[in-house]
Amino acid sequence: MSHMHIPDGVLPIWIVLIGWVATALILSFCIRRVSRIDIRRKVPLIGIVSALMIVGMTLEIVPIAYHINLGVVAGIILGPALAFISVFIVDLIIAMFGHGGITVVGLNTIVTGAEAVFGYYLFQLFLALLGKQSPGWASSLAVIVGLFLSTNVMLGIVYASHIDPVKTFEAEHDIKDADHEDGVNRITNKGINFVRFAKTVFILAPLGWLLEAVITGLVIKYISRVRPDLIAVERT
Amino acid sequence: MDVAIIDYYANSGSSFLHRAKALSKLIFAALVITSVVISSDMYLLLGIYLSLASLVIWSRLPLIKVISIAAYPAIFALIFAVASWNGSWIRAGVIILKALTAALTMVILIVTTPYPDIFSSIRPVLPKIIAEGMVLTYRSVFILLELTDNLVKALRVRGGLTRRRYLKNIVNFSSGIGLLLVRGLDMSEKFYGVMNVRGYGGKMLEGQREEKAGRNDFAAVILGGLILTVSLMIRFEAGPVQYGAYLTAFSVLAFIASALYILLEKHRVIFWKS
Repeated sequence: MSHMHIPDGVLPIWIVLIGWVATALILSFCIRRVSRIDIRRKVPLIGIVSALMIVGMTLEIVPIAYHINLGVVAGIILGPALAFISVFIVDLIIAMFGHGGITVVGLNTIVTGAEAVFGYYLFQLFLALLGKQSPGWASSLAVIVGLFLSTNVMLGIVYASHIDPVKTFEAEHDIKDADHEDGVNRITNKGINFVRFAKTVFILAPLGWLLEAVITGLVIKYISRVRPDLIAVERT
Repeated sequence: MDVAIIDYYANSGSSFLHRAKALSKLIFAALVITSVVISSDMYLLLGIYLSLASLVIWSRLPLIKVISIAAYPAIFALIFAVASWNGSWIRAGVIILKALTAALTMVILIVTTPYPDIFSSIRPVLPKIIAEGMVLTYRSVFILLELTDNLVKALRVRGGLTRRRYLKNIVNFSSGIGLLLVRGLDMSEKFYGVMNVRGYGGKMLEGQREEKAGRNDFAAVILGGLILTVSLMIRFEAGPVQYGAYLTAFSVLAFIASALYILLEKHRVIFWKS
């Protein structure tokens, strides 16, 4: 997997709410930033790039649940502000398909949006380092570093929440540990083993990063040959 | 994630859920997801899941297909379950069931409601650029899916996607995605031109038609309310809790009864026709 969609009901409510508030603040900043450009021209562009991300996500490699998500491509084509808006639209739509939780759209947008925003700036950085003739390599490297960073954002969220599906409620209402409790159906949680979680993610994720990097690199290389204007101009 | 088939189910059905308004189904989904979020009882979650599965049967939708669409988050939930493993299968079951039940709720919403109706209902709470972007994304998805289909066919016919040439396949496939993007961007410029001619000034969506709430709407909301009530009762009930087990038993019976009813109905129709 290139990035991970957090499912519903797994995180405590307080962090879900923080995710929504943070996403709302970032979105309002992005919308303000793009307000000086002609929205009528940009909305169809957002629509196409978001649709391409969704189409990419429909092409799944079933056993490992891997799909390309083209977040960095969105960042490179749209620029960070429009890409973040596009990522929010994509996350909201795919959450309706049951692909990632609906309550955690805010958090998932931060994770995937980080990939697009980091991707844009890293692409510019690598392009400057490698030279204008290497957009493919620059975008591939941007994907690997961007996905590493966005995975760390996700791990940071998990660490902050201690990924405790029931602890918040159980602790609030003083229900005893289920291992010794009334029935075997109700459980409590002493918290996630964060190190084990991080290890699991870092074992599975690099394969996704690599595939995404190869595909993104080739896509950007193709675009730079056919429509260089799409990646050469300064974006919002 | 089969977007085209989901759209087909949403537009072709005629069950009570299909006939209910988008807003009432959004309320239903919100109530059920709240139940999922606040629940930590495996039997209760299993009961809700089976009740939703019965609802899929009553909506005359293909159960296996709908459940498989909603099964995707199980893989991610499994990672969370593995990470919090302490030897209790129930803990893992709760995490996976939470993800599956929430996903099935959302999938039921979208396979019974055309997307434009959902967008119209949530539009008042979204900024204009996002609301408009969602509509255009939705429209563009189908165009791009068709282009993708044609592209994959063309690649296969010309030997661009062949067995055991994985590297070559990835290169060709990636160029294909690049081509899709370029075509899509050209299309977005055409969109802009056409929309401009039609007087587009940054606002495209119109509100939903004003219709009175009917019994289908009440049924959807009451169903969601019932699920939330049971969840709250179990949530705040001190001492031994049996409601979850009762609900599971009830939902299993409801599921079997629903399946039998639909099967018998089919047989009755076949018998009558013959």
